[in-house]
Amino acid sequence: MEMNNNKPSTCKRLKALDFAIIETGLFLNTHPTDAKALAYFNKLNEERKAAYDDYTEHCGPLTLFDDNTMSSWDWVKTPWPWEMED
Amino acid sequence: MWIYEKKLEYPIKIKRPNANLARLIMSQLGGPDGELGASTRYLNQRYSMPYREVQGTLTDVGTEELAHMEMVGTIIHQLTRNLSIDEIKNSGFDAYFVDHTTGVWPSAASGVPFSTNTLQSTGDPITDLNEDLAAEMKARTTYDNLLRLIDDPDVRDPIKFLREREIVHYQRFGEALGQVREHLDSKNFFAFNPAFDK
Repeated sequence: MEMNNNKPSTCKRLKALDFAIIETGLFLNTHPTDAKALAYFNKLNEERKAAYDDYTEHCGPLTLFDDNTMSSWDWVKTPWPWEMED
Repeated sequence: MWIYEKKLEYPIKIKRPNANLARLIMSQLGGPDGELGASTRYLNQRYSMPYREVQGTLTDVGTEELAHMEMVGTIIHQLTRNLSIDEIKNSGFDAYFVDHTTGVWPSAASGVPFSTNTLQSTGDPITDLNEDLAAEMKARTTYDNLLRLIDDPDVRDPIKFLREREIVHYQRFGEALGQVREHLDSKNFFAFNPAFDK
């Protein structure tokens, strides 16, 4: 896996999708029968599957549970989210 | 349980350190109306909430507040990089530095340590949700005050995101209070505590 500064746009894609999913999920907790919101949530979740695979292949593991594509323990090799990429 | 996802909920990249701002923003980490307080309220109130849909809101908003706590800690960490001793002396950060260097210690801008004295978990659904509505507005006011004091666009950007989230959470808690009322007698919502009385 390349660790360069020119991250593919898929790194941002997964993050943007996740925010939309969280926001829709909060809305569904108080509007559990809203058909439009349910359909939107399902559509986002479907898109997330491909974005998640892209992310873990090109940007690094998202959780401890993700398969590593290399033989080393990438979980602690990729930058932590609070680091500045100087 | 929680699984950690190695990303921030919203990007933060602060190019210019500023120890004075770090001291002020500390209130949103460990102050009376900050993100640690918010997550502590909601994640602890959910056990006594008798309605699953409202437990959902408390769990999911509480979880998002943990992510916000991480964002505030990140902002403080990035604002306190590469500080000179002169910057520490002249920024009002020196007292904090004595006890914590540039480590992150949840407290208010005034230095008062984080405490559950500033929050409630009452075991009463209507009361808890009113506590939560107030908490979101107090947090929003704190972010409003911070924005009056911050010029750096790199810092304003994530702060504005966090402020908007408080308003959305306020909306959700209002709806959750409506969901609680639907379970109760509209002739008297306060007749008994549905979390305790049989």
